[in-house]
Amino acid sequence: MRKYILVPCFLWLAGCATPPTPVKPDSGEQLVGDRLTVTLDGSWNHIYIPGQAAEHWTMEGLPIDDLQIYSGIKDGQAMQPVARGSSATPAVFHSTMQPDEIVSLFESMLTRDGSTFQLVKSEPATFGGAKGYHFEFKVVRKVDSVELSGVGYGAVSNGELFSIVYIAPRMTFFGRYQARVENIAQGARIKGI
Amino acid sequence: MNRRGFLALGCACGALLRPGLSRGDGAGWKPPPRFARPDIASDEGGLWALMDREETRLRRSPFRIKDRGLNDYIQGIACRLGGEHCPDIRVYLVRTPWFNASMAPNGMMQVWSGLMLRADNEAQLAAVLGHEIGHYLARHSVDQLRDAKSRTAFASVLGVVPGVGALAGLGVLGAGFSYTRDHEREADRIGVMLMNKAGYDASEAAKVWDNLLLELEARPGGNPSKNGFFASHPPAEERQSALAELARTMPGGTTNADIWREKTNAFRREWLEDEVKRGQREESVALLTRKIAAEPEQPDYLYFRGEVHRLRAGEGDYDAALADYEAASLEAGAPPELWRGMGTVYRARREIPEARASYRSYLDAAPKAPDAPMIKSYLEELGQ
Repeated sequence: MRKYILVPCFLWLAGCATPPTPVKPDSGEQLVGDRLTVTLDGSWNHIYIPGQAAEHWTMEGLPIDDLQIYSGIKDGQAMQPVARGSSATPAVFHSTMQPDEIVSLFESMLTRDGSTFQLVKSEPATFGGAKGYHFEFKVVRKVDSVELSGVGYGAVSNGELFSIVYIAPRMTFFGRYQARVENIAQGARIKGI
Repeated sequence: MNRRGFLALGCACGALLRPGLSRGDGAGWKPPPRFARPDIASDEGGLWALMDREETRLRRSPFRIKDRGLNDYIQGIACRLGGEHCPDIRVYLVRTPWFNASMAPNGMMQVWSGLMLRADNEAQLAAVLGHEIGHYLARHSVDQLRDAKSRTAFASVLGVVPGVGALAGLGVLGAGFSYTRDHEREADRIGVMLMNKAGYDASEAAKVWDNLLLELEARPGGNPSKNGFFASHPPAEERQSALAELARTMPGGTTNADIWREKTNAFRREWLEDEVKRGQREESVALLTRKIAAEPEQPDYLYFRGEVHRLRAGEGDYDAALADYEAASLEAGAPPELWRGMGTVYRARREIPEARASYRSYLDAAPKAPDAPMIKSYLEELGQ
């Protein structure tokens, strides 16, 4: 129960206009957005954050681990809201982006606050039945100096971006859920391919 | 007063948000003797204790730049400025891409990488450190603590101001607004005097503001000191001109530009990467254009300006990016990533032979790059 309270509070304090809504979806097949289907072998806390392009799922509660699911992001769409008053360039997806540019887009989102990012690997991969990308990375989060590991998969289909990115503390948590995330990535299906 | 407020008060922070310097008040100041640790039961003692704990946290931070040579060098600059207070000043270099330095009343000084990137020479860094030491020597944070307690106005200092966090974070914000204009003027005055006494060219202090103004003016919407929340503070121009006027009374001195470049050379690329990640495209172009004008043969500045143009991808940006990449490629020690950037631009323009050649050059220069498998797949798609 505690994390159901803490997660909305954290995100609300982080600047969301309204507290997010936690939902705990059942195991099995889940439709994310209109076209992305994933299969879960366990329950994830599902956090709806208004204004976010991604759905956020978590096992331990945000900000400990965060599975970001981007489904059907359209050309020109911002990946995350820009802080009020900020003059920073928003992270915007363009359908013409190559995989390394999409990885760079995720990197820019993770480092806007001064966090550091180190790309470990970036390679072609299949995601959701489409030709796409896989990348691994390390982050040191500015706000609390926690060292994080991350993995991402994704593809562009009909000009829309489908991607999952999982990030969690390098110690304990990333390894605990990495296989589960890999299974989700491997079982993902994009409709209409 | 809560803990966060206390911390913000304790950290006397850098020049970005600070008000101006009045003319004619540069004489008659003598540095105080070294400070004794205050009684823990006093308000100042409590502030020191909290800063001590923050210093312990900072010492362990993964963002601390631990290179011994650079630390010794910057500590030496602080010591030249601090004089007999040198044993009490402990400098910590922090990898944070914004322009800032700060000093706490217990002697803990933070110097951010964004400041070191922007400094053109040792004297410019000394100008900012001297200002922070000025706050320390004049014990402004203690004045502010007592003033805030008496006025119970600290909530306004701590208010979370939307968007300002992107500049530097809450610590900077809190400290940036915690000093009065008089305190800032006094710190500027002391800082320039310390620069002069240490043998630095005091006119470099005003140049720090010249440079910062270039970036501020490049922002979409213009200089934030002229509008909105910042309107209550004197504009940066006023401060720049006041510092220049004061420096005219203290001619001579050195800049140590060559030593500065030599000492920071190994860190430049990492600091530039962090600068680009801030996502402040216009500011970054202004900064890099200034740097290129000063060092036209330094390929890092050319490459990273090319990156900013490529990422901005506005009208003419791809042409500008290619020009920068090509200019960088002609210089020794250019980053191999420039070839990847060129490949990306050429591919976006559907200039396939050029894209192929660029990607091949990237793989030749960085065969073990973490994204090499991805780039190889591009070559397969584009045809060998």
